[in-house]
Amino acid sequence: MSYLELRAVSKLFGKLAALQDINLQVNKGDIMGIVGPNGSGKTTLINVISGYYRPTRGTVLYDGKTISGKRPDQIAARGIARTFQSNVHFEGASVVESVMVSSYLQYRTRSWQAFFETRAYKDEHEAVVGRVLELLRMLDLFNDTFMPAEGLSHGYQRMLGIAIAMAANPRVLLLDEPTTGMNHEEAMFVVENIKKISEQGVTVILIEHNMKVLLNLATRVVVLNFGNKIAEGKPEEVMNNQEVIDAYLGTETE
Amino acid sequence: MRYIDYKTVLPRTVAGALVSLIVILPVFTTNMITLSIFISSGIWAVAAMGFTLILRTGQFSLGQAAFMAIGGYTSAIFTVNLGWSFWPSFLLAGMVSGIIALIVGSIVLRVGGTYFSIITLALSEVVRIIAQQWESVTRGTRGLITSPPSPIAIGGFEINFYASAVPYFYLTVMLVAVTAVVFWQIGRSRIGGTFYSIAANPILAEHQGIPLMKYRVIAFTVAGVFTGLAGSLYAHSLTVMTPYMLGLWQSIQIMIMSVVGGVGSLAGGPIIGSIVLYTFGIYLSRVEIYGIQQLLFGGVVVLALLFLPKGTGLIDLWDRFWRKVVWREEEYEPDTPDD
Repeated sequence: MSYLELRAVSKLFGKLAALQDINLQVNKGDIMGIVGPNGSGKTTLINVISGYYRPTRGTVLYDGKTISGKRPDQIAARGIARTFQSNVHFEGASVVESVMVSSYLQYRTRSWQAFFETRAYKDEHEAVVGRVLELLRMLDLFNDTFMPAEGLSHGYQRMLGIAIAMAANPRVLLLDEPTTGMNHEEAMFVVENIKKISEQGVTVILIEHNMKVLLNLATRVVVLNFGNKIAEGKPEEVMNNQEVIDAYLGTETE
Repeated sequence: MRYIDYKTVLPRTVAGALVSLIVILPVFTTNMITLSIFISSGIWAVAAMGFTLILRTGQFSLGQAAFMAIGGYTSAIFTVNLGWSFWPSFLLAGMVSGIIALIVGSIVLRVGGTYFSIITLALSEVVRIIAQQWESVTRGTRGLITSPPSPIAIGGFEINFYASAVPYFYLTVMLVAVTAVVFWQIGRSRIGGTFYSIAANPILAEHQGIPLMKYRVIAFTVAGVFTGLAGSLYAHSLTVMTPYMLGLWQSIQIMIMSVVGGVGSLAGGPIIGSIVLYTFGIYLSRVEIYGIQQLLFGGVVVLALLFLPKGTGLIDLWDRFWRKVVWREEEYEPDTPDD
């Protein structure tokens, strides 16, 4: 049985179908790539899984349970974290502060324990700080630990986005174009890190335009076009699929 | 030897000395008017702290005076109509106000933002109208005449609330101190970070698994409890509770005190803001032109917002005074990224 499953999911905005009867199965440990031209519904798909949008029809199942219709924080609490297509941050916070406040789900102690600073809370807090610093080191943000988050360069802001999502302790990570606006080396650095994250047992779903990244990384690729799934399979197979090439490059007219 | 950072220790020592000066004020003077200025400032300070706590979660409450009114009426009704003594009524006032904040908050905070402000605004009118119309209990516009707490005898020493304002003064100081410590601890603990994150970026915070409603309701309820206690103290120190004492203007006054004092600090800012503005208001009330008080009050707010950037408020002047006047530090210009 698949880990994350979309059953006939549709999302309509008025009469416009951003997603149309999408069926998708993601297995545990997969790195699933989602590709498609602009406006094909990739981000909508992630918004539906993460609970930002409610699907108009269909259900999203995670670990055998329905998660569609739940609030984003409930879905995040079950272990699905996401990044955003734009660079988002907590206004005014430094890098380490952003990741610390994002570590909300790592705490098991209650709010009153945090208020009274009980022993259990202090121990847990220390462990969380350790994990956060480890995360910053892994994502090459360690030198900018106390920098204001909005002062980072674009590439590092993308890394911070991944760090923030990873701070939620996810078992499924949804990455919305993690390598936009990056040069080849930076993109390859992100690829290395996604591999590391995947090795930690996290299932990854990523939206990506960069074919090199996908060929390098993805175990399976899904192609969307105008809200429909037009192909699915291994990256090499999908790249040579005529329908996919048509969707990306257009068809020849005679 | 442990290194002592005199640049943080000295301002704190001076601030501590100033606070202790206020606390031992009755040693120098037992003048009713001087003390009552501080009593009222303290009561408003508690309400302003409540407002600041709600603002920490990104919500702008325009009905904080309603919770003072709820607290004030609760303890007035229980002492006058039911003959309870002051102390249990005082605690009950906090509880009732907190419960109402919890109920109202769990309904109203769902909408959030501007709608929340509008609904809290309406709440303060609703409370006023109920107080005015429910004459069998609240005596309508005639108001309830409350009495100070009965004297407490500890050994041979008697604390008499009728004889002087000193016991009220210390009761207020205690309430302000407890509120300040609780709010300060909330602000510096994990809960404060969570509050900040849901104000700074609610969408991102929600995707990190932070339940927005839960923390908004917590802030609103905690603020409600302490504001209710302040309201009870207000009603008893003024010995009267009428529907017009706590209305829209008072809610706005609470907001102004918090913003001018500085919303960056949960305890210090509101306390400074309410002492300064309340004292200022007392002097303004001597000017015998109708409505001039609100006008000048507004002028002060505009000046504060113009010259004290981004909600740093009066409390920031304290830091600036030490950095610029005492240490004569150069202005630090952080490198701005070119984007």
